[in-house]
Amino acid sequence: MAPLLIGTGIWGLVTGVAMVKVGLSAAQAIAMTLLVFSGTVQLASLPLIAADAPLWVVMLTAVVVNLRFVIFSAGLHPFFRSFSIARRWLLSYFMVDMSFAMFLSRFAEAPRDERGTTEQVWFFLGMSAGSWMAWQTMSIIGIVLAAEVPAHWGLEFIAVLALIAITLPMIAGKPALVGAVTTGVIAVVAAGLPLKLGLLVAVVAGIAAAMSAEIMLERRARNTGGTS
Amino acid sequence: MSNLEIWLVIIGLTLVTILMRSSFLMLGDYFPLPERVQHGLRYAPVCALIALVTPELFLTQGAFNLSVENPKLVAGLAAAVITLTTRSMIAAMATGMLIFTVMRLLSAAA
Repeated sequence: MAPLLIGTGIWGLVTGVAMVKVGLSAAQAIAMTLLVFSGTVQLASLPLIAADAPLWVVMLTAVVVNLRFVIFSAGLHPFFRSFSIARRWLLSYFMVDMSFAMFLSRFAEAPRDERGTTEQVWFFLGMSAGSWMAWQTMSIIGIVLAAEVPAHWGLEFIAVLALIAITLPMIAGKPALVGAVTTGVIAVVAAGLPLKLGLLVAVVAGIAAAMSAEIMLERRARNTGGTS
Repeated sequence: MSNLEIWLVIIGLTLVTILMRSSFLMLGDYFPLPERVQHGLRYAPVCALIALVTPELFLTQGAFNLSVENPKLVAGLAAAVITLTTRSMIAAMATGMLIFTVMRLLSAAA
């Protein structure tokens, strides 16, 4: 968890600096980081703001970059479905890649009647609160110090290293491995697609590949079981 | 963009992002997902994270770069090996960042 927060914090710092470098005022940058609270969306919008793109292009880009949140939301729905509307808004605001990934890798196997427990809510909010504080604190420091931090330190790469260290141990079993390799290859091949669509294509293909592998393995296990 | 336009962008991004994050949490009861799809979603986290990582490692300014002189690729692979062998995230990140920085400085000096 701690290395993740370091990664998140540095990513936030870089985003804070980038927002100001693109021409947002300090007030605008702080409003953006507090209200939107999504590094991917914020960073994706900056080149468009700099290029004076029409408002609808910025929004469309945000929708595509955000499509993974719809997947996350569907994944969390079985756990949080019975909560009040206000509580679901709150949980939605705090939904980030890291809290979703850690949550589902821990509770995916929970039986139907053990979903939405207090432990699960607090686990999710705990993961999220840590990310939120690391992100916001470092973003605001970045916004304030924007003029002092050279862009070419390459500090944002630490976020990628953090992702590697968190993701690899999560690849458990052959279907997950098939999905990970498929996603990895397609994400590279399709990276040139506009609007970050390659990200979405890769994730969908990876999930499909993992599910196909799972079905094939089940079938093979059943066949060998029948003949032996 | 004008000041006003930037504020509109910020408000728009806020709405788009919260609506998409809350989509299924709010409306999932009215759009039930098939069991198969729900089951497949457990692979989503790994796939989403991998999809963010590989382009960073294998692409340099949009071009495929499978070379031992690609600092991000070498550093990323080193971090992956250390993660798999030691399970220490700190060691993986520190080694990766060290290799990345040294290679970057060397190539800048060359």
